[in-house]
Amino acid sequence: MDLIDRYLNAVAAQLGQDERADIIAELRDLILSRFEAREEELGRALTDDEKEAILHEIGHPLVVAARYRKGPDSLVGPELFPYWLFGVKAGLLVLLAVHAIGLFIHLVSGPGDAGRSIAQAFHSFFGAGLTLIGAATLAAAIFEHYGVRPKWLTRWRVKDLSAFGLSDPAVWGASVTGSETAKQTWAPRGPKRWPGGDYLFSLLATGLFLLWWIGLIHLPALGQVGLRGEDATVTGAPIWTTLFLPIMVYGLIRMSIDLDGLFRPHRARMRAVGEAALAAAGLWLIWVIFEAGHWFTLTRDGESAQVAGDWSLLDFTRLQGLGDGGRDLTGIASTLSVVATWVLAIMAISLVYRMFANLWRLAQPGRRGGA
Amino acid sequence: MSVDPDLFESMRLELRRGSLVLAVLACLRTERYGYTLRQALAADGLEMEESTLYPLLRRLESQGLLDSEWRAEEKRRKRFYVLSAAGTEMLAALADEWRGINASLDKIL
Repeated sequence: MDLIDRYLNAVAAQLGQDERADIIAELRDLILSRFEAREEELGRALTDDEKEAILHEIGHPLVVAARYRKGPDSLVGPELFPYWLFGVKAGLLVLLAVHAIGLFIHLVSGPGDAGRSIAQAFHSFFGAGLTLIGAATLAAAIFEHYGVRPKWLTRWRVKDLSAFGLSDPAVWGASVTGSETAKQTWAPRGPKRWPGGDYLFSLLATGLFLLWWIGLIHLPALGQVGLRGEDATVTGAPIWTTLFLPIMVYGLIRMSIDLDGLFRPHRARMRAVGEAALAAAGLWLIWVIFEAGHWFTLTRDGESAQVAGDWSLLDFTRLQGLGDGGRDLTGIASTLSVVATWVLAIMAISLVYRMFANLWRLAQPGRRGGA
Repeated sequence: MSVDPDLFESMRLELRRGSLVLAVLACLRTERYGYTLRQALAADGLEMEESTLYPLLRRLESQGLLDSEWRAEEKRRKRFYVLSAAGTEMLAALADEWRGINASLDKIL
């Protein structure tokens, strides 16, 4: 096999079957023409080095073949790149916030090895961040490949752009301080506000949660609590195993509603049915979790304490006494029990609100558009 | 202050990139195969890499702007390209656009 065949074989391997023979025949003619022209200039046959120099000029086989490829020549093209960048920035900020909160809880829950906790948080953040970037790139590549351009990408309106400020941490800070600019940015725009940004963030957050739930993202900081310099291990109660599938299905349905909101913003009524049903399903999940009564177990040195709750913890006096809990295993478990009970209660209230808001939306005749 | 050669090269390439299609279409008013087309363009001061020219020819053909046929010449089969009817109309429209841009730029420059 001579140089030309070897070169052309390398190009051919990158080309589609239907056009391979045609392109290779044309390239062969090009190469032979270049060789002949050079031989005419020199008045002699070319050496292998001289032939190779010409093939170098024509280009690396991968580059040459890539120029013939139909469709996008990048994973994220210039049109999608700003949206990809926004998604990645916003997702990384969400991850950063989640990890910062996890790290904070870890550090304040006991004088553990702070250096180790921080290292674990960094390790977990970078792992989750890389997964997020990979997932966003995969989504963008699919969009590029199939030429998908959802309506929220092409038919945007200026009044709908407030959610895009979320990728700027300065805006988060401003909103916390309650500055006028922040208020103007974050003030509700009324019932006709386009929910694309909300759906995008819900999609990102639920996607991240599901990746963690099925074990593709590891958050080691959530599995351990520092207690007097030693780590206590956090293990889930049997209820989480029982509800593994229902929670995963709940997350997937949540994501499909978010996707529907992004791609078909006009189907607001249909989505309201889904939202109301999903909120009802969420309430059922919360009820089952609450009724289980036992959610986590803290273990250290053979000693264990349950994070568990019931109606008696839904008392404001228990909330006021949160900081008074002991720093030992039982005390921390008791504090976490109150926190978890109230978190479940707040989630239930928000789901009830969501369910009724969507039922109200359905009850309003003639109401259309993204709400 | 001297011109940054790297920046100049990048801007020069960007400037000429859009005009290459026009040059190729104009050159193919006469039937040619890839190698002679590249030589003709180079003779008029428009050097073009083969890895750019040949895929461009196929793209223009798939867009219906060029016709092509394989024919034997100088002991080898070669693929000859020539402007199609749609290509002729496109060339006229692009040439008008080009002259308009050129005239505007001349005024500004």
